[in-house]
Amino acid sequence: MSSTPVTTFWRVAGMSYLQYINKTAGTMRSVLKEPAKTRAMAQEAYGYNAAVWEAGKQGPKLPVANIQQAGK
Amino acid sequence: MLSRTASSFFRRSATRCMSTEAATAVKLNFCLPQETLYKGASVHSVILPGMGGEYGITANHVPYVSQLKPGVVKILHEEGSADPEKYFVAGGYALTHPDSTTDVICPEAVKLDDIDPSEVAKKYDAARTKFSSAAAGSIEQAEAQIEMEITKEMGMAIGVSLN
Repeated sequence: MSSTPVTTFWRVAGMSYLQYINKTAGTMRSVLKEPAKTRAMAQEAYGYNAAVWEAGKQGPKLPVANIQQAGK
Repeated sequence: MLSRTASSFFRRSATRCMSTEAATAVKLNFCLPQETLYKGASVHSVILPGMGGEYGITANHVPYVSQLKPGVVKILHEEGSADPEKYFVAGGYALTHPDSTTDVICPEAVKLDDIDPSEVAKKYDAARTKFSSAAAGSIEQAEAQIEMEITKEMGMAIGVSLN
C-alpha cells in the first residue's frame, strides 16, 4: 500500500470544505480593486450582540466588542 | 408479478425525468450567498471550471454535477459569441438538470476587471514564502497552498504569469 493520500491536501491538513472554500473566497476578496474590494470585504465582516436576562426578562440587545466581553 | 411492477415503476419514473420536448437553451441560475447574478436566464452555453477540467454545457447536455475549482465561468449568451461574459469564481458547485437548467453556486464571483494584478502578484509571492517556511502537513502550509493556487488561477485569468 502506498502512503500517498487519497484525498485533497486541505483535508489531509485537517481543514473542512467550509474552511477551505472560505479561505479561497477570502483570498480572492483581498486582491480586488476598489470599489469591488470594499463591497466584497463586507461579506467577511461579523459582530456580536449580547442581551442580559434578569428576573426572566431579556434586557436590550447591545453590540459587544468581542466574544470575550460578551460574558461580562 | 414483482418484476412487472418494478419495470413499470422504472418506465414511469424515466418518462417523468425526460422532458417531452428538447430544450433550446440553457436556463442559467448563477448565485452567490449575497446576491443572484442570473435567475432563469436563457443562454446559449456556459463554460465551467470543473475539478476534473473545464467543461461546457449547451442545451440538452446530459445531467451533470461538478465541484468547481477556482477559475473562470464563461457565459455565451448567443451562439458563437465572440465575447463571452466572464466571472472569476472562488470555487463552488455546478449542477445541470435533465431540462437543461444549470445551477452555478459560488461563494464569490467577480468580473475580471475588478482583479488587481499587482495585488495578485504580491499575494502569490507572500503565499509562496509562507508555504516554504511552514511545517509540512500543517494548516499554515495548507492555507498558503490554497492562497498560491487561487492567486495563480487569478493571474492566469487576467494574463499575469506567476510561478
